[in-house]
Amino acid sequence: MSFIEVKNISKTFKVSKRGSGIPGMLANLVAPKYEKREAVKDISFSIGQGETVGFIGPNGAGKSTTIKMLSGILYPDSGEITCSGVIPYKQRKSYVGRIGVVFGQRSQLQWDLPVKDSFELLKAIYRIPDDVYKKNLGRFTEMLDMSGFIDQPVRQLSLGQRMRSDIAAALLHSPEVVFFDEPTIGVDVIGKEAIRGFIRELNAEDNVTMIFTTHDMQDIEKTCKRVIIIDKGSKVYDGALTDIREHYDQTRTLEVEFTTNTETEPINGVETEDIDARHKRFIFGKDIHINDLMSQLLQNYSVRDINISEPDIESIIRKIYSREGAA
Amino acid sequence: MTAYIAYARKVFLGRSAYRFDHLMSILSVVLQFFIFCEIYRALYGGAEQIDGITMSMVTTNFVLSLGLGTIFSPDDYFLPNKIWDGSISTELLRPISFKGRMIAENVGDSAFNLIFKFIPVLIVALLTTGVEPPADIPCLLLFILSAVLGYGVLWSISFAIQMTSFWLINIWSLVTIKNVFVNVLSGSMIPLWFMPEWMQGVLDFTPFASIYFTPVQIYLGQLSYGEIAAKCAIQLVWIVLIYLIGEILWRKGQRKLIVQGG
Repeated sequence: MSFIEVKNISKTFKVSKRGSGIPGMLANLVAPKYEKREAVKDISFSIGQGETVGFIGPNGAGKSTTIKMLSGILYPDSGEITCSGVIPYKQRKSYVGRIGVVFGQRSQLQWDLPVKDSFELLKAIYRIPDDVYKKNLGRFTEMLDMSGFIDQPVRQLSLGQRMRSDIAAALLHSPEVVFFDEPTIGVDVIGKEAIRGFIRELNAEDNVTMIFTTHDMQDIEKTCKRVIIIDKGSKVYDGALTDIREHYDQTRTLEVEFTTNTETEPINGVETEDIDARHKRFIFGKDIHINDLMSQLLQNYSVRDINISEPDIESIIRKIYSREGAA
Repeated sequence: MTAYIAYARKVFLGRSAYRFDHLMSILSVVLQFFIFCEIYRALYGGAEQIDGITMSMVTTNFVLSLGLGTIFSPDDYFLPNKIWDGSISTELLRPISFKGRMIAENVGDSAFNLIFKFIPVLIVALLTTGVEPPADIPCLLLFILSAVLGYGVLWSISFAIQMTSFWLINIWSLVTIKNVFVNVLSGSMIPLWFMPEWMQGVLDFTPFASIYFTPVQIYLGQLSYGEIAAKCAIQLVWIVLIYLIGEILWRKGQRKLIVQGG
């Protein structure tokens, strides 16, 4: 039984199109021009309870717009969304009490108040019972290591500290679904790792459904089993992270270091790249057996070192983006 | 409910942060009051009364309407600012009514102004020019009721205008036009007694007279109980009518909403 069900949603924005400088301003004043931009085009998917799903796509692909529709802030122009039986944008008030949202670039905390006071305000807004509040606060303070700065005003926190406070703030009321919109943006390596660990732990312990958008593939690899790739408002991939390779890029690479400068004969079905005089890269698909290729190389040349690699996810994604862009 | 009280409290406490600004805003109201009174004293030129309106009634009009003006302070940019910088998105993620929160913050603000602005201004006026006492106790109570309704009228005007920011984003000019209308046509600058007959007739069909002038007339005992009931009913009608316009814009606006800055 799917928990979140999205059917054919679309959203179009009217963007004012105006020339630059004074001529552009005057033209815009007399006859404003608008351009319709389809931020989201006919996207459908469903997500089960307790799943962790990563939304990836280049800037402006429609990820944030999709998240905003899922969290009830924006109305889709057409299509339907239901989340555990509720239509987010129609029953906003009752719905948002059951979800949590973290915007990496927008703090939800009170700028001038200590972190703890912001939490207290949220406790009143969400009507969190005392025992739940105490339990969650204690747990999050420990898991996110917040005890050192919980009494400091938000404006004096470092970005990493602020982000951790924001994540805790979004989860105090024990939401069933949490949306993370770029939760690790601008955070250092250690901070990122802490956030990812926290997310994994929470998902495993509380079975919270989580949806991410991010540009950091490490975030996705370490937290999500499933990814949805969105580009130019359309869904281009939906499936397991590990299947992306199979789906888009089945090539493997053999890097060979020869003992002397070597020229190799071309091999059928294998692409050869020179790194330098003694290093070469052989790129080949699933149809070539690695045994054959290696024995052929070892027989004919004097090889010092050999290294097989699969393309990393990041470069596959890059390929998907640029291919969609060219189409 | 606790959430709304928490918001009202937050604003009430936050307002005391800028003490100098606060003192200056009291001073500005007092100055305005003295200037208006002096202009009318000169116009009266020592006359007892003009058209049956005494100088002390004029003074009382200014104390009450300027005083109420310090309390009536809906934040015209509450929604526009949030739309302009995109923080509307986090506001809509709270499981509370956005309008309820808007009212809660206005109430917190007004409570602060009542205690720390209206009362100081009233004391200054009592010590200097003097103020007419209310006609009688029922009139005082009805004045308070009508003042609350007057605030309701002003609040719904502000509410409806703010809702246009879903489309316009920047509504500074609309707010300024509204403020000019409120200042000139509500009696807080020119007591409406002195408006030409036809103008008074026109004003009866606008919401402005019911903001300050209706409570002032009740306070001075110028209206019979029948008239008071009619005027308060008119206030109620304006509140409902303008609020409904705002409500329609609010519903349509949410569909229109574009979150600025991604």
